[in-house]
Amino acid sequence: MAAENTKVLYGLYNDEEVLKGAVKAANASHLDIMDVYTPFPVHGLDPILGLKESRLHYLGFIYGATGALFGFLAMTWIFVSDWPTMYGGKPYWSVPAFIPITFEMTVLFAAWGMTITFYTICGMWPGVKAKTLDNRITDDKFCIAFDVTNASDSTVDQLKGFFQNTHAEEVNVKTI
Amino acid sequence: MNLNTQFVFQNKTKTLLFAGMALGVVCLGLTFFNDDQYHTRFWTNWLHNSVFFTGIAFMSMFFLSAQITAFAGWNSVVNRVWESMSQFMWVGLILMGVIVLGVWGHFHHLYHWNSPDLNVTDPTAPHYDRILAGKKGFLNPIWFTVGTIGFLAIWYFWAKNLRQASVDQDTMETSEFKYYRAQRKWAASFLPIGGFLSTVFLWQSVMSIDSHWYSTMFAWYSMVSMWLGAISMTVMLIIYLKSLGYLEYVTQNHLHDVGKFLFGISVFWTYLWFDQFMLIWYANNGEETIYFNERMTHYPVLFWGNLLLNFVTPFLILMRNDTKRKFGTMFFVALIVFFGHWWDYFYMIKPGARITAHEAIEMAEGKHGDSHSSVAPAEAKHEDQAPATEQPAEAKHDAAAHETPAADAHATEGHAAADHTAAAPEAGKDTVTAAEAPAETEKTAEAAAEPAAEESHDPHAAEGHHGEDESKAFKLGYTIPGLEEIGILIGFLSLFLFFFFNQLSKASLVPMKDPYLEESLHHDTGALIEGEDGGHAHH
Repeated sequence: MAAENTKVLYGLYNDEEVLKGAVKAANASHLDIMDVYTPFPVHGLDPILGLKESRLHYLGFIYGATGALFGFLAMTWIFVSDWPTMYGGKPYWSVPAFIPITFEMTVLFAAWGMTITFYTICGMWPGVKAKTLDNRITDDKFCIAFDVTNASDSTVDQLKGFFQNTHAEEVNVKTI
Repeated sequence: MNLNTQFVFQNKTKTLLFAGMALGVVCLGLTFFNDDQYHTRFWTNWLHNSVFFTGIAFMSMFFLSAQITAFAGWNSVVNRVWESMSQFMWVGLILMGVIVLGVWGHFHHLYHWNSPDLNVTDPTAPHYDRILAGKKGFLNPIWFTVGTIGFLAIWYFWAKNLRQASVDQDTMETSEFKYYRAQRKWAASFLPIGGFLSTVFLWQSVMSIDSHWYSTMFAWYSMVSMWLGAISMTVMLIIYLKSLGYLEYVTQNHLHDVGKFLFGISVFWTYLWFDQFMLIWYANNGEETIYFNERMTHYPVLFWGNLLLNFVTPFLILMRNDTKRKFGTMFFVALIVFFGHWWDYFYMIKPGARITAHEAIEMAEGKHGDSHSSVAPAEAKHEDQAPATEQPAEAKHDAAAHETPAADAHATEGHAAADHTAAAPEAGKDTVTAAEAPAETEKTAEAAAEPAAEESHDPHAAEGHHGEDESKAFKLGYTIPGLEEIGILIGFLSLFLFFFFNQLSKASLVPMKDPYLEESLHHDTGALIEGEDGGHAHH
């Protein structure tokens, strides 16, 4: 998300293939796209936008490994030294019986860890106000947005021309 | 790119595959003539490879049917590979037919319920087994024949028709989908047929080797094992065909999706494997635990190797999404998983068949023609008859095993005790548990709450232990696959590939009039891999 009070010029497209073509055209004429909004993940869009591979999964692995280790060691401590209990004649340190809980802890830590990390990075904490360009981009419209806060008139005209050439259905300006 | 390409089965490849088959025949011969009098090694290898490769053909059909039924579009360009793989089923029918003949003619002693020496379902026989007599309605030659030949014939019929409909669709001039609709019908109806019948097929051909043992997880687990055999084979074949210049339209994106299946189903396999293991381990019923106790005690390499090959390797390597898009890495993992699931079937089949063969041989040698109640008669009998009859079997035993004749006698006693119980089930229940699951008993003995149980179990446990060490010491080709087994694998693989390539060369490599072809040709997983651009060549 851009900073406060950003003036955004955006165009809405009807189809994801048209959108991908438009992004390529923008790349070709070296236009600086602020962001692209789509109602669903468009396959093959990330590389042409030049986005970097997310590093979130590295953290996911670390969170998961932490959860696995935590679950396993906690059970080891609880069932072997803190409160040794006999279940069905099994040894105190019953590794096979620990596996399901270890697995659950892995999933729990990875899921919560990644969710919290992702929300923190995106600044999505409780009470934050949504900066929506257009409600239809969560429905059936594909949007390319340019930051025109400090843009000259000629740049804005150039961008409007770009939208016209790439068959944008609608072009609007909004300050968010 | 030209879509209408046809695979050309080169003579050079044919020669190579014939050489592989010859190697397989030589190795089968080696294991046949260099073994006990029941040729256990030969027959387990035959069953092992027949079931495995038939299973791969079956799962290709099942997988393809699932894709068609689910309206999946990404896979159209790979469909012909699966169609061709599934046509191997009629060869599988012949291979399994040999096992069926063996059941009738008693050529092999793979199945305890079918051993003529033990004759377990006859109430007057010394080895009468009440449990197996109770399973007679399912475990009998007639049902085995129907279940094996009949099921495979049904599957092949469906596979052939699905393939035919797919090939016929190529001939359509306009965008008419008459044959494609036929394909959908064959595919959708195959799912319940294949799903239910494969369960029964696996019970009778693999699980019934350990006739007393049963597990409700078994069919799932062994079916998924076949599935991974089929997926890893698909990966290797796609990469091989691409290296020959075919399938240029199969991109990293298709490989990525097959790779996701390879990864996901490997984890699913582990889940089923572990479920089966943990439930049995936790309940600790002797009659169930025996299966794992036998394998963990005498086949540790097989047991742990299974998890290493089929879980640890694919899990750690395929976890990242860029490894699923690299042809070299994928080939490597697919090769390991393919070998791993072949290994998995070895692990399912070999130990149980060895116990049956061992008992049948002892029976034939008159070691325990009737039941014994103490060590003394067994020892006497053993010493009387051993010099005359044991010679052929002895030659193959490890030297170490023969340094302790006392242990030998114990072995006999251990088995006698186990067999004996069937005749007197009420009194004998404890003995079975003790003799069959010694290590488990020992392991939990310290923790056992009842001292009485400890007392009664210990002596038997000790006995059983001696005995099993003697008869199941490490032996290449039995406790882990030996060189001949690898040769036989190459032989069966060559046979499979021969029929595969032959089928593949009979139709266009791509179903040209498939309604999902365009989607498949433009398939994109959306994966974002840094430093990669090859995957988006079609843009």
